[in-house]
Formats: sequence, C-alpha cells, structure tokens
Amino acid sequence: MSTSRPTVDGVAGSIGELLEGRITNSHLALFGLGFVGVFFILPILLLVPESIAFGTGEPLQAYRRATRGIYVDAFVRSFLYGIVTTAVTLALAYLISYFMAFGTNRVRLTMTLVIVPLWIAYIVRYFGILLFLSPAGPFADLTGIEPSLLFTTPAVIIGLSNVYLPFAVLPIYNSLNAIDGELISASRVLGASQWRTLVSVVFPLSLPGLVAAGLIVFILAAGSFLGPAVLGGPNQTMIANEIAGAFLNNFNIRFASALAVIYSILLVGTLLVFNTVFDLREVLGNI
Amino acid sequence: MSERSLPSPRRVGLLAAVVAVFAFLLVPVIIVVITSFTPQSFPGIPQEGLSLRWYGELLADESLLNALKVSLVVATSSSILSAIIGTIAAFGFVRGEFPYKEQISTIMLLPMIISPVITGIALVRYFGSLSLPSGYPALILGHTVLSLPYVFLLVRSELVTYDKDLERASRVLGAGPMATFRHVTGPIISPAIIAGSFIAFVVSFGEFTATQFLISPGTSTVPVVIYTMLRTGLTPTINALSVVLIVVMLVVALSSRRLSST
Amino acid sequence: MLEVRDFTKYYGDLCAVENLSFDIDEGEFVTLLGPSGCGKSTTLHAIAGLVEPTDGQILLRGEDVTDLPPEKRNIGMAFQSTALFPHMTVRENIAFGLKMHGHDSTAVEERVEESLELVDMPDHGEHKPGELSGGQQQRVSLARALAYEPDILLLDEPLTGLDRVLREEMRGWLNRIQKEVGVTTLYVTHDQEDALSMSDTVIVLNDGHSEQIDSPERIYESPASPFVAEFVGKSTRFSGPVSREGDRAVVNNHNKAITVEGTGVEDGDDATLYVRPEDIEVSRTAEGTENEITGRVVNVANLGNRAEVTVELTDGNEALAHTNRFPDIDVGDDVHLRFDPERVIAL
Repeated sequence: MSTSRPTVDGVAGSIGELLEGRITNSHLALFGLGFVGVFFILPILLLVPESIAFGTGEPLQAYRRATRGIYVDAFVRSFLYGIVTTAVTLALAYLISYFMAFGTNRVRLTMTLVIVPLWIAYIVRYFGILLFLSPAGPFADLTGIEPSLLFTTPAVIIGLSNVYLPFAVLPIYNSLNAIDGELISASRVLGASQWRTLVSVVFPLSLPGLVAAGLIVFILAAGSFLGPAVLGGPNQTMIANEIAGAFLNNFNIRFASALAVIYSILLVGTLLVFNTVFDLREVLGNI
Repeated sequence: MSERSLPSPRRVGLLAAVVAVFAFLLVPVIIVVITSFTPQSFPGIPQEGLSLRWYGELLADESLLNALKVSLVVATSSSILSAIIGTIAAFGFVRGEFPYKEQISTIMLLPMIISPVITGIALVRYFGSLSLPSGYPALILGHTVLSLPYVFLLVRSELVTYDKDLERASRVLGAGPMATFRHVTGPIISPAIIAGSFIAFVVSFGEFTATQFLISPGTSTVPVVIYTMLRTGLTPTINALSVVLIVVMLVVALSSRRLSST
Repeated sequence: MLEVRDFTKYYGDLCAVENLSFDIDEGEFVTLLGPSGCGKSTTLHAIAGLVEPTDGQILLRGEDVTDLPPEKRNIGMAFQSTALFPHMTVRENIAFGLKMHGHDSTAVEERVEESLELVDMPDHGEHKPGELSGGQQQRVSLARALAYEPDILLLDEPLTGLDRVLREEMRGWLNRIQKEVGVTTLYVTHDQEDALSMSDTVIVLNDGHSEQIDSPERIYESPASPFVAEFVGKSTRFSGPVSREGDRAVVNNHNKAITVEGTGVEDGDDATLYVRPEDIEVSRTAEGTENEITGRVVNVANLGNRAEVTVELTDGNEALAHTNRFPDIDVGDDVHLRFDPERVIAL
C-alpha cells in the first residue's frame, strides 16, 4: 500500500492521512527499537565506561584483575560447561525429537510434555534437581542410596541440560518435521536401510535445526547464574556468578562491569568464529 | 513415516530411551510438587500421609504473601506494557520497508540472548543514574524489556502469515484505515497479542537472575524469596511456595495456548 | 464507465506497467489476460485504489478517482484468496460492505438475504468461511462484492485455486450472474480459457503493456503480435523471407515455400507464420496441393474428444495437428501436413 496519499476530505481521510502519511510502519519499528535501545542496549553499553577507572593511574585495573587467577578459571568453566551441556542436551533432544517426528502419533501430548517445563520458573526446576540429588532427598528415600553428586560439576551439567532441553527440542523437531516423508520413502525404495536413511538423508536435512539448537543452548548455558548457584559448590562458579558476586557481595561495580564486558566480547568472538563455519543469519532464521 | 516402519525391538529400545529422557525432564518438577505435601519438616516423599501443613505456613507468613503480590503486580504490568510495545514493533518490522530490516530485527531479540546477569547489573546502574527507584518501577520496566522478545516473536509470526488481501478487501468494501484495523486486522491478530502477553506474564513471574538486582526491601518477588530460602536451608515451605508459582504459571500459560490455538 | 489513461506504475526502478490505456463500457465483461508478472494485478489494484499510480489517470463514471482511497470508490472486488474475513460469518461478511457504505440495518438485512439468494446460498448465512468449500467461498466473496451495487466489479483470478471441473462450472455461473446483475466487470486471469470463454473484450498484457485489445474471437483468429499468437492457443510456427505474388505472399521456409492469403506481410520482410493445430490436416498420402509439408510422427496424444499429433519436420522443428479421436497414425509414420493459405496467420 502507498506510504503517502493526497489529503482526502472528511474525518476518515485525516486519520487515513495520519496513518498512511505521517506515521509510517517504519516509525512503528523505530519506536520498538527505541525502547530496546534506551532501556536495554544503552544500559549495557554504559557498562564499558563503568568498567574503566578514568582519571586514575591505572584505568584498566579492573581488567588486569579480571584476567587473572580464579576469574580466568570462571571464564574457562563457563565455556567448558556450555560446550558439555550443549553436547548432552543435543543428544537427548535429538532422541525425543526423532521420536516425536517419526515414532508417534501423539505429537500434541509429547509436545506438551516438552513445553510444560518451559513454563515453570528455572528456580523451581533447579530446586527439584537439588531435592532429587540431596543425600536426604526423595532419591535416597526411594532407593536407600545416598547420592553424592550435589555441589559437583556433574550436578551442574545435569541441571543445565535439564533446564535447557526444551529449547533444543523445538528447533530440532521443527527441522525433522519439515522433512518431506517422500524423501524418506524414496531413500528406502532406493535400497537404503532405515539406519542408512537416518544417517544419509534425515540427519543432514535436520542439521540446520541441530545447529540452531546448539547455538541457543550454548549461549543460555554459558551465561547461566542459577545452575551453578543452586547445584554447584565453590569449584563450580561460572562467570555469571562472579559478576553477580562482585556486584552484590563486594559492591564492586567497576569489576563486575569489566567481567561483563570481557564475557560479552568473548561470546561475540565465539559467535563470529561460529559464523565462519555456519551462516549465523541462516541459523537465526531457524530459531 | 508411520509407526509400523520402525521394527519392534528397535522401537522398544527407542521408546524406553524416550521415556527416560521425559522422566529426566519432568521428575524434578514432580518431586517439588509431591514433597510439598509432607508432614515432616524436611521436603522428603510423604510416607505417613499427606499434609497441607506447609501451605498453612505459607498463608501465615506475611512476607511470602507480599512477595506473591509483588510478583503478580510486576508480571501483570510488565506483560501489558510488553504486549503494547511488542505489537507496535512487530507491525513496524513486518509492514515497514527499510534497509537491513531482518538484521535490525534481531536487536529486538537481544534481551532474550544476553545473560540476564549482565542485563541485571546494567539496568540497576542505569536506573540508578536516572534516579529511577529500585522496586516496582525498576522491576516493571526491567521485566518489560526481558519479556518483550516473546511478544514480538509471537505477534510477528502472526502478522507474517496474515493475508493482506483481508485489509485490501476491507478497504474496497468501504472501510477506512481505522475501521479496517478495528473490524478486521485487530480482531484477527488479537488472540496472538493476548497469547503473547500471557507468555510475557509467565516470563516475568519466573524471572530470577536479573530480578535479584532490581528489587528493593519490601519488593522481593516469589523466585527471589525461594532462592533466599534455598540458601538458608531446605524446608517444605519452599515447596509450597514453588507449587503456588507452578500453578499460576501453568494456568496462565495454558490459557495462552488455548487462545493461540483458536 | 471506466477509463484508464496512460496508467504507469514503477516499483522503485522496476516498471510494472507502462502507459496502459483502455476503456470499459457499461455492463461489459472485460478480461486482462497475461502471464504472471505482466502487470495485470497491478492494474487491477490501481483501479481499486490499492496501488498508487506513478503516472496516469483512472476515471470511473467520468469522474477522476486517481487520488481517492479505495473506500471512496464504490468498487466491488473478489480476490483469488477470497479474502473472506475468517472471524465473521458469511452474513457478517456480506453485511460489512453494506454497513461501510452507510446502509441502515433493515436495508443491510434485506440486501444480505438477496445477495445470498443471488449466489444460491440462502442457507449458509451463519457459517464461518472456514466451514465452506473453495467454490462456496468464492460465491460468498462475489455476493459480498456485489451486495452494495458497486459501479464496477473487479475479479482478481477468482477461479485460480479451484480444480478443473469446478472451474469450468464456475465460469458459466459467473457469466450468468454478471449478465443477471448487469454489472460492469473487469476480470484478471492468466488462463486463456477463462478469458476466451467469458469475456466481451480481452486485453492481452505482456511485460507491462497491452499487446492487443479485441474480442475473444479476434484475439484467437487474428492475433496482433507473435506474443498473442503464442500465448493464446497452440500453434505451429514457421518463419522466413517474403516474396509477394499478387494478393498472395510466399514465405520461404526451410521446409517448403508456404503460401499465405491476404495482406499483412510485405515483399522482402521476414515473416512469422502461425497455423492453429485444428487447421492442419494430417494424412499418409500426398495430394500435391499447396502448403503441403512432410514430416515424421513423434507423438500421438489422445485428448479425449480429439487427438493431438506431433510431427517432426525436415528442419527439425515440430508441428502440431489435431485429428479425430483415433487416428490411423502411429509414431514413426511419415505423414503429409496440409493447411489452407487462408488459415495461416502472418505477422
């Protein structure tokens, strides 16, 4: 439809003119961007000057501290936990997505089972895992075995994988579900076994969904605060915990900002590397 | 592919694995619910009958009830705000014509992607420098930003599939732009907007990580209270409060689903 | 009734329609026919006011409506997607246009009933569009467009989504309704059968300009350009230099010299000739008449009421001829093709 039109007499015309002339759809987009810009992008960008001690002898003192010792460990841990969680989550998600796409007629039921946890606060789900793993908890009640996983790395990985699993199922299921059933029939008719069809036809076609799922899970898991805070011990702190700790416990805003800036740069760097292998825009299109 | 194309031993194996994964996914939540009915003072599986004791404790605790009120106020206000802003933005990005539209629209999704810890400290510093007080104003605005991407995505996908011929037909039938929006476009996309605002409500109601920076004394939300209690020791009151949280979130989410499916 | 004057539409630098002009008389059924992307929908949308012309004028009942928004034009329109409002019943859909045109509630009720009668759907008023079949939806869409007695009815490929049998049925039905109501109609389609079977006048559009504005018979029998000859109907094409011999012309094609009756081509021109398949006679025996060429049959397709024979000529080109249902001809046969010089279209 046209963006400008000569004035038309009458009230309807003047409103029409307002809608079609003065306020265009691009203005509406600008309004949304403006809100996110002012209340999200700008505050985050302001962390950069916040992290630098202007006018002091050592403006980058916070960065010097952030690139040493336990903080380096926290960065490394965030990325490692992110990668391990992604691998575990993708494997589990692929299994149930494959089942939902090809193995059952009760897609609605299984989909609901996947989505319901998404609607429940992370804190409650981590609490459930904490209960399950606690030495005096329901698992011990039922089996008589006292689990000893709590406050260890596996506990954190279990928690992160549990919480982010639905985010991985949705894109993988969508890409599996979009595969034309005739392609699978064709592969079978051409003589491929079911396993061979899975490896040579289904898997390659579901790759975009798998990559998108991996990207989401990695970003969410690497930046998680609650997972290590509820299920981990002092040796499981990830970067989000260090940032929160610097801010809430030590009131060191400069240091917290420096950690946030470094983490964001590392994450963007990772995404850029990722982008050289997979086209990020295409991946985002699958989300 | 139909079910019979899976040979049965393999199918049994797959089925067992799938059940295990679903159990992994759902057991934590189920445990929280079951153990909330214990009469004991530790959240274990109730073995000597069920008890509503801890729900009673909940009702007797003024600070817990206050947290519930804060959560409801913040979630309601922020979901209305993000429904309005998200809908306007979705219209702009679907209907507007400007260069790099797709790339720019990912900016709208950033609040969903950036770690909420970073969002939290950035917002609390920013609101501080604007002299916007912690508590309700900061919480509502912060949660609006965090839930905005969900409304934006939902309404945008509705608008993308919306048949523009309907608007053309309405205009040719004699309705001006405003009448067309009121009688045609509005009624058709409103279920998506309402569904989006319900999802925004759920996101706000469960948000913890950024929220812990934005609260003030007296405006703790339910997730913040649960977290604080977790750090001091496990009591079934946490379970009772969690179950309240679960019920509110599921009821809202299920109504949103019903709305978007009609 | 409707006059389109030098209508031009650019999308950015891309020209969709250039200097298109035509008139439609009161009560006439006119079709805009062309391949997709030829500008026919753009033209229709401009007449409805849904597309703003880059240049040119649109006059409705002698009044310049170029700058009027669609809601002020009193136009009826049916869309390929039907564009029925999914949240309203059939009755509410039809009432919508009447209300927007300022009819009071008793008049609205009356006209809705009449409109439902008109399209033979008196019992479907309370249904939602989603509950109706494709053909029924198109009928409601037409009822909605006609209810407020528009000055002109615009139809944007309304039959395109329908299957072949229903489509043919709907053609006749649409024609009857149009004559019954007497509404001036502009129909847009890419389907030549729609155009030839329904219209008083056909406008053939190609790449944003009109190739020919004529009656369906003339469009088929005397196409004005190679585009029209090739887009409308099947034909066999020959080309070559012309030498005139009195009121006849001879075109020297690779296969044989072809004689053409009448005018249209000049001595020394390069002419393109088209012969319709129904004008070509196929036989196994030579008769030695003029315009007899030889070839070998490569395909015989039975089309039900007739058969279509594809013949490879000596220069490698193919000719198409129609025969009776079960021709005594097989693939691989050497045959002779004959056609009347009067039936050759020369361009």
